Amino acid sequence: MVAAILYAVGILQLFASTSSGPHYKHAILFGVLAVACFIAFNFARPKTV
Amino acid sequence: MGLLQGASELFPVSSLGHAVLVPSLLHWSFKQSDPTFLPFLVLLHLGTASALLILYRAQWVVIIRGFFAAALRGKIENDAERLAMLLLVGTIPAAILGVFLESHIKTLFASPYEAAGFLVANGVLMLGFEWVRHRAERRAAVAAGSRAEQEAHFAQAERISFRAAAIVGACQALAFLPGISRSGVTIGGGLVAGLRHEEAARFSFLLATPVILGAGIIEVPQLFSNGVPVGEYLAGAVLAGIAAYGSARFLLRYFRSGRLDPYGWYCIAAGALSLALLTLKA
Repeated sequence: MVAAILYAVGILQLFASTSSGPHYKHAILFGVLAVACFIAFNFARPKTV
Repeated sequence: MGLLQGASELFPVSSLGHAVLVPSLLHWSFKQSDPTFLPFLVLLHLGTASALLILYRAQWVVIIRGFFAAALRGKIENDAERLAMLLLVGTIPAAILGVFLESHIKTLFASPYEAAGFLVANGVLMLGFEWVRHRAERRAAVAAGSRAEQEAHFAQAERISFRAAAIVGACQALAFLPGISRSGVTIGGGLVAGLRHEEAARFSFLLATPVILGAGIIEVPQLFSNGVPVGEYLAGAVLAGIAAYGSARFLLRYFRSGRLDPYGWYCIAAGALSLALLTLKA
């Protein structure tokens, strides 16, 4: 989620096609990956029932 | 272009390859190097995605409900929830590869010659997928039965493994090469993973929807900012949607008993013919 925000505000430029400005595609991708990680964590955690 | 893209997007014959080749061969005034060409194609893809959403509207309602239920519960309890998670797992590799590789691949392989060459490669891939399926049918000793009996031996989309879903999803990135069909590689991947032809097509169409919608939502604002004839482009998108809806209905019926081979042979013939015509024109 931090990477998504950094890409969206143009601070992070890693693997981007240009070296300045915001990278919304990367930001959305990292946002989606963050949500997927939360879901994976929820699946992996021990269930009480 | 809208009709061409919509009709060829879901058939395993590469819409991007046709979108690059046909204007070049017929001297249409589309410039593939124009910055609005890619967003225009994405707008046509949005028409296709809308058609798929309409076709599978009832299933998408169940899938989205299943997604939230399974995600919040942290456990899969039914087929709809499993399909939702399979689609998520299949979409992530395509999204990662798309974001990081798309621009590099498209600038490397944008010419009609390469599109024609990859169309031939796409045909070989389709024949390869069917060859692997024939072997699986022989191993399962169902080759002698009717097509319906053969297909019944294979699985539904919900039963595919998560690893196979991720591999099939990653295969979608191959479609950034003009001439390689996204639906072709995902249907072929589904067949190799043990799905019935009709189920492989259904999984391919469901898998395509979020990727195409996502790409469209990101790219379309770029189209509108460049002062292009929006009305004509939107008309193209509507025509693409109508053609895609008809194609999807046809393909789902076709794959109840049909195979990928005819499309493989078509791609090889169309790619070879295009290469010959382009060479003669040069």
